Amino acid sequence: MSFKQLDVRGEICPYPMMKAVQALKRLSANEQGLEVITDHAPALETIPTQAIRLGFSSVIEETGSPEWKITLTKK
Amino acid sequence: MSEKPMTERALLGAGAENPSAWLRLAPNVRMGFLAVVAAVALWMLAMGIDSQMGLFWIYGLAFGFVLQRSRFCFASAFRDIFLLQHGRTLKGVLAGLAVATLGFGLVMSKQVPNPSLGFLPPEANVLPIGLHLVVGGLIFGIGMVVAGGCVSGSVYRMGEGYVASWVSFGGILVGLLLTAYTWNWWWDASIATGWRVWLPTYLGHGGALALTLLALLGVYLLVVWWESRSGMVIPETPFVGSGGDGFRARIDDNLRQTFVHGWPAITGGVALGALNVMLFYTAHPWGFTGELSRWMLGLSSALGIGPGELQGAASLPGCTLEVGQGGFLNHMIFLVWGMVMGSFVAALFSGEFKIRRPRQNRRYAQAAGGGLLMGAGATLAMGCTIGAFFSAIPSLALNGWVFAVFLAIGAWIGTQIIQRID
Repeated sequence: MSFKQLDVRGEICPYPMMKAVQALKRLSANEQGLEVITDHAPALETIPTQAIRLGFSSVIEETGSPEWKITLTKK
Repeated sequence: MSEKPMTERALLGAGAENPSAWLRLAPNVRMGFLAVVAAVALWMLAMGIDSQMGLFWIYGLAFGFVLQRSRFCFASAFRDIFLLQHGRTLKGVLAGLAVATLGFGLVMSKQVPNPSLGFLPPEANVLPIGLHLVVGGLIFGIGMVVAGGCVSGSVYRMGEGYVASWVSFGGILVGLLLTAYTWNWWWDASIATGWRVWLPTYLGHGGALALTLLALLGVYLLVVWWESRSGMVIPETPFVGSGGDGFRARIDDNLRQTFVHGWPAITGGVALGALNVMLFYTAHPWGFTGELSRWMLGLSSALGIGPGELQGAASLPGCTLEVGQGGFLNHMIFLVWGMVMGSFVAALFSGEFKIRRPRQNRRYAQAAGGGLLMGAGATLAMGCTIGAFFSAIPSLALNGWVFAVFLAIGAWIGTQIIQRID
């Protein structure tokens, strides 16, 4: 079991959210979730929201200034 | 929402044991203080030219600061209704409109005590309704979603270091200029004969105010109903402080809640609405695409390639195209760049400033193309989401509502487009 990685740094609004949702929908059975790296603060609201609707839990960790890692795990 | 709540970024840096208070601050906070010093220096410079320029610099800083802190973007307000079935930002917009409606109503009732005589308040954004407004709203709505931000959204993201937003801003300037060459055609076809409806003319001040507030409430209920169909209510990310009980810990939490944690959209909307009322009381409602057009029309005229005389434009209020006159410096240039500076200061303190470059070249094309559409839409609608919407509905003007409907349709079309661009 592993986490798929997605780096959306530099992306414009709302692609960080859209790409995260696309990746969540394409996870394979042996992947337990997705780790998203983003520098787009609005995505801290939108990505967890959409992930929860798709059945994932979400943890945000600050990894830089400004940079965050959002870990989305299958429930 | 998340299992482990995220704690907020510290204002103090790694060198917390350093004897110098200045060096104990996080590097981004130190940069923030330097930016404040620069903003004050520019304010003194503006005051040296003219006190009104200084005042508009302060307004610009305040608008930019609030936009950044509340991540207030009209593009996301309209787009996220379709894309996420989520009304976070739109509810903030509605709150701001309600506050501004009350304030504008008061200001206008002093300016025009007897509205039934048919006089219009000279500075309020009561603009002609017609095909130009429909087309303007549609293409503005498409452009703002494709570009990833409306005009004010692009301006505050310029301050946060988004390179694509600077490209959008360039597109907006070019779009304003290019459509200025078509202005006289639109004037004859639609603008000159357009109906300028100021609701107090027909309903009195109280009736117009009550109807506008009821309509805003109606839209709010519609948004909540639409959200409820998505089956989940998503709260705003809560602020998680240190939880300390001492005076210093509490002040530190206050500071971080204000300068680091993103404000709720409703707080941002109310603050922007109140600032808009203050600005209207001082001079005229908030808006700035008219000023952007003034730069471009002045520049093109100086080069001898300007569109020439624009019929009727000088007779209309708001963000209508302005022919470049009166030199380069005026009070509005301080408002526009004050917004970029205010957002820059806010972004430094919150640790959200970063030069961000999209990796795919198509994003630059989107930013430029979306900007062009916004510039064109703002020419035809005589304003952007600020001048033709956020300052028009509180002006108790019907054109604000017409623009909003077509803006929403345009945003829906834009949402379809961006979902097809990888």
